[in-house]
Amino acid sequence: MHIMEGFLPWQWCLVWWIIALPCLLLGIYRLKKVLGVDREALPLLGVTGGFIFILSSLKLPSVTGSCSHPTGTGLSTISFGPWITAVVCAIVLLFQSLFLAHGGLSVLGANIVSMGIVGPLVGYGVYRLLRDTSLNMYMTVFLVTALADMFTYVTTSLELALAYPAETGGFVSSFILFMGIFAITQVPLAIVEGIVLALVFKYIVALKPDILIRLGIFSEEKIKDARSEI
Amino acid sequence: MFEELLEDIAQKNGLREVNTYLKITAGFGSIFLCLLSSSFIPPLIIAITLSGAILFLARVDAKTYAELFIVPIWFAVMSVAGIILISGGPDIFWKWNILPQISLSVTRQSLNQGIFVFCRVIGGMSALCFIALTTPMTDIFIVFRKCRVPEIVIDLMMIIYRTIFILMDQVVQIYHAQVMRLGYSTVKESIHSCASLCGAAFIASWNAGEDLIMAMDARCYSGKFALLGENHPVEPKPLIALAVFLSFVTAIVILSENSTII
Repeated sequence: MHIMEGFLPWQWCLVWWIIALPCLLLGIYRLKKVLGVDREALPLLGVTGGFIFILSSLKLPSVTGSCSHPTGTGLSTISFGPWITAVVCAIVLLFQSLFLAHGGLSVLGANIVSMGIVGPLVGYGVYRLLRDTSLNMYMTVFLVTALADMFTYVTTSLELALAYPAETGGFVSSFILFMGIFAITQVPLAIVEGIVLALVFKYIVALKPDILIRLGIFSEEKIKDARSEI
Repeated sequence: MFEELLEDIAQKNGLREVNTYLKITAGFGSIFLCLLSSSFIPPLIIAITLSGAILFLARVDAKTYAELFIVPIWFAVMSVAGIILISGGPDIFWKWNILPQISLSVTRQSLNQGIFVFCRVIGGMSALCFIALTTPMTDIFIVFRKCRVPEIVIDLMMIIYRTIFILMDQVVQIYHAQVMRLGYSTVKESIHSCASLCGAAFIASWNAGEDLIMAMDARCYSGKFALLGENHPVEPKPLIALAVFLSFVTAIVILSENSTII
């Protein structure tokens, strides 16, 4: 769930835009560099964006019965890295607000920071840390996705708490309160999304492993091992 | 599961022929005024006016429009409840000290603050819906190009836009097939079905991407998409209506400064 239009005061909208813009510019710079080397990456990036959009319009079975949805950034961040993911996410968030009335335009900066920058950065960090260890490939995907998802919502709570600090206890107690509200739906959701994406990975390994080898996500031996297990 | 995309409605709405810049100015102007306002009145006026324009001028179905507000309102109610409980103030109606550092209270000021934020969300959402329901994405691409958004970003946007519709068709077909085979009958089944759906969607999108490379190579793609599209001329009637609306709301924003409901 993204912060919706009109929820943040204009000062905070501006702050989050100022934080998001340099990251987006870095992403565009990286994008140009990648496309200079491999022109074929543009359509692939495009379909990744389409995939994130479709994933986030799916409603996941959630324990509390709320209509939560996956963020879908985990797969993109391990395929293309966090900065390019930020650009793709920014476009997807714009489409979500204009196609599904989900999110908003003035709060787009805040949503880009939470879903497009912090979540993917955390996910990418976890992926780099675990990629070359002996940990099971599916476990790695599970942790990347679940943590990217969790941190997206921690950042959203942070954004809300900064804009609306509590009278007693200030920012900290308001942060705890917003985290509490989100935790009810988001902790189970992050776990479910992690399981779903790990299973998605299993299908890709079984049906089209060449995608993973071409993008260099995992080493060939690791994928071969995973295939022999199926 | 898949609500009709607002884009489909925007392609055939009643205000389709109105100049794109006028519609975007109306939407962004309203969002801007909503954010600048310090009272709950201007956002409410914006919500009523724009909802009227969406329902009667753009002729959008009232039920579809109302359904768009269900999810944001649910989110708003939860978060506004949080704001009311924590923001505090001198005129206390109710107070509960859970821990020494954390106390919850309902005060005159926090209620006003909560109502104000809620109205701002409603106003902002109707302005967002106004842009989404009256301006198709293809028109917005042209505006982006005029505003000098980098080529590469516009190209990426257009590819994502195309892919969404290709994928959406496939995902809907697979989803219905899964539902018919009781794929979502239990939680465990749902997780498995959802995963195979996402996996199939990813592989399908990859194939679509590879086909696209081939098709574009065959048509001598040189790194820039041709973007055709004409903008409708600015007509006096909508222009005057927009000017009157924005100046009226601006006046209300100034006059109603800091006014509260209780």
